[in-house]
Amino acid sequence: HKPISGVSSGCQQGGCLTCSDYNGCLSCKPRFFMHLERIGMKQIGVCMTSCPPGFYGTRSPERNTCTKCRSECDSCFNKNFCTHCRAGFYLHLGKCQENCPEGMVRSDAQRECIL
Amino acid sequence: RQGTAATMCPSPCHCEEDGIFIMVDCSEMGLSSVPANLSPLTTYLDLSMNNISEIQPRAFHRLHLLSELRISGNQLRYISGLAFQGLHNLKVLMLQNNQLERLPDDAPWDLPNLLSLRLDANLLSVVPAEAFRGVRSLRHLWLDDNSLTEIPVMALDSLPSLQAMTLALNRITHIPDYAFTNLSALVVLHLHNNHIRSMGSRCFEGLNSLETLDLNYNDLQEFPVAIRTLSKLQELGFHNNNIKAIPERAFVGNPQLQTIHFYENPIQFVGKSAFQFLPKLHTLSLNGATQIREFPDLKGTTSLEILTLTRAGLSALPLDLCEQLPRLRVLELSYNQIEDLPSFYHCSALQEIGLQHNQIRRIESSTFQQLASLRALDLSWNMIESIHPDAFASLHSLVKLDLTENRLSSIPVVGLSALTHLKLRGNTELYEAFSPDNFPHMRVIEMPYAYQCCVYGSCDSYKPAGQWDSEQSSTNEDLHKRTVAMYPIHTDTHYDPDLEEFQLEIEESKLQASVQCTPTPGPFRPCDSLLGSWLV
Repeated sequence: HKPISGVSSGCQQGGCLTCSDYNGCLSCKPRFFMHLERIGMKQIGVCMTSCPPGFYGTRSPERNTCTKCRSECDSCFNKNFCTHCRAGFYLHLGKCQENCPEGMVRSDAQRECIL
Repeated sequence: RQGTAATMCPSPCHCEEDGIFIMVDCSEMGLSSVPANLSPLTTYLDLSMNNISEIQPRAFHRLHLLSELRISGNQLRYISGLAFQGLHNLKVLMLQNNQLERLPDDAPWDLPNLLSLRLDANLLSVVPAEAFRGVRSLRHLWLDDNSLTEIPVMALDSLPSLQAMTLALNRITHIPDYAFTNLSALVVLHLHNNHIRSMGSRCFEGLNSLETLDLNYNDLQEFPVAIRTLSKLQELGFHNNNIKAIPERAFVGNPQLQTIHFYENPIQFVGKSAFQFLPKLHTLSLNGATQIREFPDLKGTTSLEILTLTRAGLSALPLDLCEQLPRLRVLELSYNQIEDLPSFYHCSALQEIGLQHNQIRRIESSTFQQLASLRALDLSWNMIESIHPDAFASLHSLVKLDLTENRLSSIPVVGLSALTHLKLRGNTELYEAFSPDNFPHMRVIEMPYAYQCCVYGSCDSYKPAGQWDSEQSSTNEDLHKRTVAMYPIHTDTHYDPDLEEFQLEIEESKLQASVQCTPTPGPFRPCDSLLGSWLV
């Protein structure tokens, strides 16, 4: 699902630790993910509790970052494991493929391989 | 707000229609409780980043069609089993970034179709055995960044469909045997940034589908032999631990391995057969394993592209190294005690070779023969006295050659026409001044003596000292002015150069002016020979 809620940009965000009106969040509160959102030519720092669609979050003691999923994934758990596929691809055990393994069929509604 | 969505949209939320359904966004609205009048046609509800500290029982009981519920970034400490009643179709539940201290154990959440559950960034120290009894379809579970001290073995038993799980950033110290027995569908398991010191030798039994295992940033004292049962494992990480040895046949049970990250371990010993029969492994890097005396036997590890084995005790390389590793692209063997080199003839894909800081004395004609893709060769800090005239003959792609600090009195230039970087500093017996024609693409060259840079026009003994220094200091002066300064003959009145010839000279000077040759000649390191010897 494409969330309709964009996190409000600029300094009003709840997750911001330091920010500037021009660049948005410069650093995030603990446990928030820092993501650079492109708005036109600008990049705005955004602090979120979960990364936007098409990105996955990696937590570490120093910082929490958002990283792009593989191109065929709409959402993913990490760089090698998709949780939802892009149109034209079908999910099976974390992989988005154009075809399904033998014995399974493609479900366009769920974009998954099903029995 | 739009159309029918406007009538069914609870204030002050934003709503959007999705056919007959609606998607409701109440994020960052300062709410302290779940809005009451939510439409049964709601499929997506975002309550994240509010001040909700409690969810009333049956708060969502009419939302049978809700597919995704986000309550992350609130102040929830506990959510009773009754809170999620009625959410028969919920697939994604986000509870991360709250203050959850415990999960319901009396009446667990009844979410039969839930696929993704985010509980990361909370305060959970224990997961009750019954906690996941009502989410049996779960595929993705986030429990990272909590306060767990143990693997929630009993709770995980309820999740036969689980495919990806992270327990990273907790305080787990030990992985018991049979910890994940029922997780036969698990593909990804993250355990990084815990305090894991030990693990049962059968702790990974049952993980028949596991492809990614992340044990980085723990306190493992020994090699995790328990991985032996992970036949599908493709990516393994245990870097930043305290492991001192990699045993013989360490990965015998993991033929699918593609990447192994184990840097930042005090590894001293590596079994000679440790990395055998890994046909999909493409990178192997070992640094500082001082007890390695022999080059590892890499039989059957035929896809290796990057091999780094530095700061060990290697004194020789196997003659059949390239037969074992035909796809090698990068070979980094610096800081060993290697004396003789085999022929790298069969490593035809080699692009980079690092042999600096070894004890090599000679380079034969066959050593680097036919390495048409070789771009960088570092032989610095060895004891090389002689290089066969044909040694570099076939290195048509070589752009960087470092022979710093050897014992050379000459070097063959055949085959080196593509060089852009050449380093010869420290070869005190090498007096020859190479003609720029040998290296038409040269950009950076380091010579043993300053006068050897004079062929690159970077010195002119007629110029007054002042101008000499100024040219040296300002690197971005206008090229034309510098060119005239370098060729004073052009300023003579009776000289009337043909324009094309003049432009040719500018092109040539541009080329030579762009070559950075060191040491740079100067008043105390003149270009002219003084008393027949350049050593003053």
